[in-house]
Amino acid sequence: MSITNDLPPHAIERLRGLRREGHADGIFTSDFSVNEFLLVRKAGFEPIGLCVGTCVYHVGIQYGSWGKNQELEVLSQAMYHARELAMSRMREEAAGMGADGIVGVKLTVKRLEWSADILEFMAIGTGVVHAKGHTAFKGPKGQPFTSDLSGQDFWTLLHAGYRPLELVMGSCVYHVAHQGFFKSLGNVGRNTELTNFSQALYDAREIAMERMQHEAIEAGAEGVVGVDLFEGSHAWQPHVIEFFAVGTAVTPISTEQDASVIPDPQLVLSVNN
Amino acid sequence: MSLLGKLFGNTSDAAAAQANASAQRLAEWERALNVGGLPSFVEARLGAAASGRAPWLATMTPVELAMVRQHGIRPIAMVSGTCWYHFGYSWTLGHAEGWHAALARLRAEAVAAGANAVVDVKLRKIGLHHEASMDFTVLGTAVRIEGLAKSDNPVIATVPALEFVRLLRSGIVPVGIAIGAQYNFFSPSYEVTGRGLFSTWYNQPLTELGGFWERVRREALSKLHQDTKRQGHGVLAHTHFGQLIKLEREKQPPQFLGRHIVVGTVIHDHRSVTNAPLEIATVVDMRDDESPLLSTRPHGHNAYSSNEEDGPI
Repeated sequence: MSITNDLPPHAIERLRGLRREGHADGIFTSDFSVNEFLLVRKAGFEPIGLCVGTCVYHVGIQYGSWGKNQELEVLSQAMYHARELAMSRMREEAAGMGADGIVGVKLTVKRLEWSADILEFMAIGTGVVHAKGHTAFKGPKGQPFTSDLSGQDFWTLLHAGYRPLELVMGSCVYHVAHQGFFKSLGNVGRNTELTNFSQALYDAREIAMERMQHEAIEAGAEGVVGVDLFEGSHAWQPHVIEFFAVGTAVTPISTEQDASVIPDPQLVLSVNN
Repeated sequence: MSLLGKLFGNTSDAAAAQANASAQRLAEWERALNVGGLPSFVEARLGAAASGRAPWLATMTPVELAMVRQHGIRPIAMVSGTCWYHFGYSWTLGHAEGWHAALARLRAEAVAAGANAVVDVKLRKIGLHHEASMDFTVLGTAVRIEGLAKSDNPVIATVPALEFVRLLRSGIVPVGIAIGAQYNFFSPSYEVTGRGLFSTWYNQPLTELGGFWERVRREALSKLHQDTKRQGHGVLAHTHFGQLIKLEREKQPPQFLGRHIVVGTVIHDHRSVTNAPLEIATVVDMRDDESPLLSTRPHGHNAYSSNEEDGPI
């Protein structure tokens, strides 16, 4: 096990104290709830420590032409690069403590009050190791796997015969053209589609999805589970929107389980709320 | 640009090539939206997912994935449809139009992915305001059901995958979305307005206005009924949105605008299939957030989240 030298000394010290294989007297940190903790243990994993990666990023400026649908590549790259930095720093910390992976990753973007073009990106999750020391659960290139699935979902995913590989994402910041004045005038009183707007949303979403899928291919995934698409405008001009696709790339545990082996879920009525 | 370009390794040639490529994409989109097809790169992506050359994409949670797999259902790709609609003479009818247009596009993507059904279809809009218009977006996961041939008319289900499977087990197929939308204007009679509208001291039902509002709602529901009849046996209407607006007019008594929109999941009941018994156990739930078993609404629906929305009809 090696701890990279790039980490500050107090972080290394914290990591040394953490619990890992054969160091049962160590202390772990995690943001698990009780239920999550029990299910991660049930899935055969032990939490070893919270991993965090932060990136404060100055997002450059790029203006879209007023009447044109276009991707703002500078902003797309900024959003992607910053998230990737936060993720890789978190992954580095996890690798340092010898984790097999990180579950429950929360990836957040926050605008800082005192500046319009500085964004804070944070990735945080709980590093886990396989209790019996199986190493086959690691992600691509021997790095810890990452996943935004909760402890509960992690347990279920393993039961469905899949293991997580990597939190994959795609970002596209897009400028939606303003409809010209004369064109708007022509639409007064008519119920009609504004195709240039439809087109912009389609194109932006498609680009974000393609990029996410590309990451999944790179990770050697069979599929991506829990995909969601977010649209956000981080204090940019009103016609600038980010489309962000994110999900967990998964692969079958060894050979894909036959459908009949997956336990039949039972219908239940929960009585605790 | 030049500094950032260097940072990201962009040369001006590469930038020009990129601009060219994006112009081509837009031209393809325009053509596709006009003739009702799909751009070649979307077909390629969906085709690759359908044949297993590219990873599948699913909006499902792991629980849903496990459950649909158990029933011989495989996710193929995430599919979507968008229509940005401008409301000219009718805001209300525009909503019905917009959703139908977006659904048709979602269906086109599902066909290209060789799907038998689209599950977990969510209705969405984004927060960009442009005059009297709105975007109608539907997102869902296209799935293939083992043993069924490709379909030209895949089933569109606005229910999460878990509910889809639960319905299938009971011999019920959610087949599509029905929409009922109606609006009307109402000018109160002089008798009412002359006395100063609603300004008496008594408790009294406002029969004229009440009757008008009831007719609008009834009409919307009857349209929902017709839309349902075209597609299946019944509808589970999950979304109701109604507004009664008072329009002040110069030197005339005020007028009222009532509008009502109902959206629901159409089901097709295969009565020949004997219903699987629902054996229900009581349990203590291990989840912290709301259990997917408890949320009956199609999640992620934000189109009518508040009654605060405004716009011309």
